[in-house]
Parts: sequence; structure tokens; C-alpha cells
Amino acid sequence: MQKVLSRSLRRRIGTAAALVATAALVLTGCATSGSSGGDAAPDVKLVDTGKDIDQVTVAFPGSLANLYIGQESGILNYNLAATVQEGLVGQDSSGKVVPAIAESWTTPDDSTFVFKLRKDARFQNGDPVTADDVVFSIKQAADPEASPGIYYYLTNLASVEKTGDDEVTVKSKTPDATFLVGLSNAGAVVITQQKFWEAHKGNIGTSDSLILGTGPYKVTEFQPDSHVTLERVDTWWGGVPKAKSIRVNFIPDANTRLAAAKKGDIDIAFNVPINQAAEWSKIDGMRLEALNDLSYVGLLFDQNVKPFDNVDVRTAIAESIDRDAIADKLLRGYGEKATAIMTPESLSAAYDGKEARKELAKVPQHDFDLDAAKKLLAGTDAKGLKTELTYPNTGPQLGIAAQAIAENLKKIGMEVTVKEVPIEEWLATIGDGKHGLGFMWYFSTTGDPAEVNGYLLGADNPNAFKSDEATNLIAEANALVDPKERAQKLIELETLNANETVNAPIWWGKSLTAFSNTVGVTDYSPYTFTGVWGAKLFAAEVK
Amino acid sequence: MRVGHRLTRTLTLRIASVVLILLVISFLSFTLLYLAPGDLVKNLLGNRPSTPAAIEAIRAQYHLDDPFFVRYLDWLFSALRGDFGVSIRLQQPVTKVIESRIGVTAELIGFSFVLALVSAVPLGILSAARAGKRIDRAASAVSLFGLSAPSFALAILAISVFSLLIPIFPAYGAGDEGFDRFLHLVLPSVVLAAGIGAILMRMTRAAVLRELESDAVTFARSRGIAEAKIQRIALRGALIPIVTSAGLILTFIIGGTIIVETVFALPGLGQLLEEAVLFKDLPVVQAITLLVATAIAIITILVDVSYMLLDPRVRARELVG
Repeated sequence: MQKVLSRSLRRRIGTAAALVATAALVLTGCATSGSSGGDAAPDVKLVDTGKDIDQVTVAFPGSLANLYIGQESGILNYNLAATVQEGLVGQDSSGKVVPAIAESWTTPDDSTFVFKLRKDARFQNGDPVTADDVVFSIKQAADPEASPGIYYYLTNLASVEKTGDDEVTVKSKTPDATFLVGLSNAGAVVITQQKFWEAHKGNIGTSDSLILGTGPYKVTEFQPDSHVTLERVDTWWGGVPKAKSIRVNFIPDANTRLAAAKKGDIDIAFNVPINQAAEWSKIDGMRLEALNDLSYVGLLFDQNVKPFDNVDVRTAIAESIDRDAIADKLLRGYGEKATAIMTPESLSAAYDGKEARKELAKVPQHDFDLDAAKKLLAGTDAKGLKTELTYPNTGPQLGIAAQAIAENLKKIGMEVTVKEVPIEEWLATIGDGKHGLGFMWYFSTTGDPAEVNGYLLGADNPNAFKSDEATNLIAEANALVDPKERAQKLIELETLNANETVNAPIWWGKSLTAFSNTVGVTDYSPYTFTGVWGAKLFAAEVK
Repeated sequence: MRVGHRLTRTLTLRIASVVLILLVISFLSFTLLYLAPGDLVKNLLGNRPSTPAAIEAIRAQYHLDDPFFVRYLDWLFSALRGDFGVSIRLQQPVTKVIESRIGVTAELIGFSFVLALVSAVPLGILSAARAGKRIDRAASAVSLFGLSAPSFALAILAISVFSLLIPIFPAYGAGDEGFDRFLHLVLPSVVLAAGIGAILMRMTRAAVLRELESDAVTFARSRGIAEAKIQRIALRGALIPIVTSAGLILTFIIGGTIIVETVFALPGLGQLLEEAVLFKDLPVVQAITLLVATAIAIITILVDVSYMLLDPRVRARELVG
């Protein structure tokens, strides 16, 4: 997440994919789970008119600098590329891995995937997709210099080769349940043409070179800090979408976005700020959708910095966080108290929402208890400690929570100065060996249950937490094929996290997206905007 | 002939000192960005795990492990050859990036400067001529508002009133070339002009008042010269401080453009500079800094030359030895 923020950046939203417009849809603000925020729009019944839409105008809360997710891999970059470039595989509206450029695959052993490519897959320039293009795209994605933002997903890649005219075989070094989703566009693989890449000497995604993919929309124009224009194509294997063009405007100022929406200039607005939810939901002819967005917010403790190497200090801080008050009052319901790092949605292959929450609640919790926290801290050398808690300017809700946490920490004898910094500066503080206390704000793109806890507890984690047990648990979990068994193994990992208070989970985020009532979207879910969302749009009328 | 020679010498000296100043500025901005918080590698990798090997590869790719002076001299020698490098964030040659942005910013600044000039100077003169009267008080109130209202608040107000309430102008963006661009730039230019116009108006008023109370004017009055002619004499004297402040103000505009471009979502140099600083995109920051410094230097030289044309005393001192 960086531009993810990128100011973008820096700014992100949950996302995804699905199919086929149904005639009438009831779109409410909570597709998958949890209660939606207090200001959710009233239910609107929309009818698909079946007509084409000339142009859908989308507002992004910040500019993209590059369209290639390997070069800039913020959530908005993923969102934009998702309707232009496909992976070998994709995800459906529940997050399940489904065919994309590969129409099917077999797994002869637990670290080999043999993909059969679609014969009707074409690039937006009309050329057929070859096995060589697929191999080339994966190799570029795995190269840290060509794709600094995404290579990590493919560090377990052993080999990728063409094994037939329309067959590609990919092998992982070790059995890895996260490997397949890493080959999707929500992970690290966007299939592009080798010829195109080489013509631009690998310098793709700029306003000169743009990007080439196989999705339902091609990029026709890109001007950083201004806009990206997408036009529908007739080369996509999934058919021709309804919206002729999509224009994404970059409008960094939240007030300007709101004014533009009131003026009727915007059909879809990503990342509506929570503190403006009430105003957005009052806009005539628009509806506000709140969805769990697969994001995680929690505190991070850099164990290279004293006294955060002391588990008692970390636990005392975790017990000073009133998660219920933060989620219900400060976030106005646009966030759910996190009982673990992984989200309930990430366990959808194993459990439904209710069961997932029940399972995650089995992880030991640091309930809010200032007296206990005070006692615990008294036995350490952290009493009277002065420290800083920085949060990125793109997440004002983190700032509100930070103030509440600092207030409580004061009561147990710690002085925490809350500081808002540009997102880039915040990124640099993560695991820098100087900031012992920090926020972790992470948007999972793949929705895989090990994506975030694997990052925060595995090798190269930003907590300076060294644990063979954690590394082994992650490896064991990723070697399991059965979703339930894997979920349980990851719950063991989360239990280890809780016992050691490596991270202190606070909330699972929700994103607010505003839609004009003239535009509908089928199968709206947390995965919509990391799928071919352009093809999911339809012309709508209020019933 | 001799006059021309002296003018050439004066200008040559000026230009030489500008080159020296640019060199110092380039070193200062390089140093400041080097010391600023943030980490280019983290910006490129994002909030994701990364392997030590990959971090090393990226550091090597951008020469981040070279000593500070080596990196500066690398940049300097390339720049002297006219190669300003490639933007790390945008992955495009810096010259190309700046070329694609400079138009919007130049139009915005030019437009707002003209707007400030044609509104503030006459208002300042009028204020001075009617000092203490109702019109003077009203003009002072307007300038106080323009001076004290923060640009971003003024921008939101302008959008609310002239784009939403009375839908005359677009709320954001730069539009297409031509008239559409003009329409899109009206509100941002007015907002940018408000602050500078206010300063210019106060400066004009003070300069004209000073001239009207000067010995020369008192003497002219005592000789029974017509009031209209007296005002012309006073104005000519007042022009020098006005021109000086206009030059100063033009440089002051640069800060305002960042805010205005961000609020109105204009793809100009202001937004580019802000993002480049945050990302630690050194080639872009260096190039824009030098571009701005050069522009300021040129304006300063022009202001100095205009002194010579306006003020016979300076002309005599500079050109006739």
C-alpha cells in the first residue's frame, strides 16, 4: 500500500469481480458481513435498463504515477489495472480463485501448476496471447528491479516455462497455498505482451507507453495528476461491456471531490472519507455503499527499539486500546473490532462470516483494562516513557484512533505524541529501528488469510520479531490444501501473535464508495474492484 | 556606445552571479532532500515485505549507497550536459515530465498575475487618492480579506459559490486546450490572485501616498501645477516600489500554486513538486527547483533593468560612469 497510498496515494479501497448482470438488484451497504456504518444510505432498488453507457466518470482520491502494478502497487493502481489487465487466474465475488487467461489448471503435485491457456484470449491490440507472453510476464513480475512493488509475492517461484502451445507450467519451491492467488492480477501477475514490453524497453505504465493487457478495457490516455481514460474493446473473451468509456479523474482534495459529486460530475467515487459520509449520503441521485475492504489496522511494535522488546510493555499498550469504542463511536461503525490480524472475509473458503468471526474470537484477546495495563507497566522500565505515534495523512481515521489511544496510555503512565505525516514519511517509519510504536495499515489485495499475518509475523517482518515457531506455522499453514485445516493453523499463528503481543489488532476496515443511481454494479463485494469491474457496470434506473 | 557597453557589463555581471546562485541552490536543495524524512526504497516497495537482496538491488539501481558528494557531482555533471535524468516516480525523463506540466502552471500564474495587477494597482491608487474616505476603507477591508483568507479555504468557497450554487465554472481539472482551459482556470486564478492582489494593493497605496506627501509634489503644488499632472508625477515616482513588489510577489506566487493546483486538481508543476519532494524523487525536485530559481533570477534582472528606465537617478549611476 503506498500510493497505496500514494497519497496516494495514497488511499485505498477494497475490491473485486463477478459476472452477468441480473435484471433487478437490491444494493445495500453491506454485502458480506458486519453491520454497515451509521450513515449508510437507504436501500435503493435499481433496475438494469440494458442500455449502453457513454461514459462513466470515476473519482480517485489521489493520482497514480504509473499504471503498472509492479512499478507502483497501491490499492488504486490495482483497482485501475484490474479492468485492463488479467492474471493467469482471477477471483470471483467471494474471493475464490477462478479462471482468467488460464481456462483451467491441474496440480500434478503440490508445488506444480499446469495451466491451459484460453485459445480466444487476445490483447487489446488484437494479437493472440501466447504461452511465451505469459511466461515473460511472470518472469518480469518476479524481478525486483522490473517490479519492485510485487516481486515478493513470487519469491517462492521455482520456475515458469512453456510446456505446450497453450500450456504453461509454474512450479513453486515449496508447497504453498498462497501461490495460486499470487498468479492472479490481485497478486502479482498481469499478463502483457513481450513485444509491447520490449518496444518500450520495459518502461511501461507511463503516460507515453501506457499498459497493454487482455481485459475488457484498454487505456487510451494517462496524465498523472489529471486523469486516465479507458475505452471498451471487443477483444475480451468475456464479451463487450456496457460502458463505452471510463474516465478516472484524480481529485486529491476531499472537499473538491464532494463538490464535484454534488454538481453531478461523478458516477463513482472511491474512498469517501468517513467524516464526510453523512454529506455524501445526502447527495441527490447517489448512494453510498459501505463494504468491508479486507484492510487491517493495528499497532506495530519494533522490537529493535527498547522498551518494546518487553512483552509486558506491548501487552500493557494492547490492553489500553478500547477497540469497541474506536469501532463503534470514532469510526461510526465504518470499521469492525479486529480480534485477529486476518479478516473474517479472508476465511471465506472455510467459513461463512458468522463462523469465521466465531473462530477468530477464539484467539486470546487483550480486552480493554486500564487497571491491568497500569499494573503490568509498573513492573517495567517503560513507566514515564515518552514516544511518538505517527499516522499517514491519508488515514484521518487512524489519527482519531491515535488520539484516543494516546489518551489512554497517558492514564497508565506513557506519554505518546500523535503526529500526522505524509504517507511516504509514515512508510519510512515502519520497522526503521527508531519508531518503537507505530501503526500498521494494510490493504490485502488477494484476500488470502496469510497475506497480512504472514507479512507481520513471517520472515522479513517489520516488527523485528524473530520466531522459528511463527515461520514454521506459516510454512505449515501454506502447505495445507484443506481451507479449514489451513484456517486453524493460521489461528495458531494468530494465537502466537496474541500471546507475544507482536502486533495489537485494532479494527478491520470498511471502505465507502459512492455511486450515481444511473450506474449499477453486479455482484458488488469486497473483491469487485480487483476484478474486471468495468464489465460489471450497467446502466441503471431507480425502481 | 559607452552606455551600451556599461549596460552589457552590468548584465554580464548579473548573469554570472545568477549562475553562481543557481549552483548554490542546486547543492542546497540536493542536501535538504537528502536529509528529509522518508525512504525512496520504501516508496518503491510499498507496504509489503521485501527481501534484503531485493532492497540491495534497488539501492544499487538508484545509486543510493554512493557517498553523498559522489551523488551530487553525478547529478551536477549530468545537468551541465543538459541531462536532468529520469523521474523515479513517473519513470519518464524529467525534461519531458516538466514539459507536460509547465503549460498549466504558466497559464495559471500568468493569468492570476495579470488579474492581480489590473485590479490591485488601480484600486491602490484610488485608495491613496481618497485616503481615509469610504472607498479607501472598503478597499482596505477587501485587501485584508484577500490577505488573511487561507488559499485552500478561498478555493473551496469559490467552488461552492461559482461552481455549485451558481454553476458558471467547472469545479476541478484543467479541461481541454483553448476556451475550455480558460474556463477551468478562472476560479483557480482568482483564488491565487486574491492573496497577491491584496499585497500589491497595499504596496501601491503606500507608495502613492508617500509620493503625494513628498517634497517634490508639495513643491509642484506650490507652483500651481494642475492636480492631474501632479498625480502623474507622483505615480511615476511610485512605480519603482510597485515594480519591485510585483517582482517579489511573482516569486511569492510559487507557494500558492501548490495549494491551488491540489484543490482544483490541476496537473501542474506545483502538484508535481509536492509529490516529488514526498517521494524523494530527486531528479524532479532538482529540475523544478532550478527552473523556479532561474525564473526568479530573470524576473529580478528585468525589474532591475526597468529601474533604469523608470528612475533617472539609477540610470545615471548605472550607465553613465
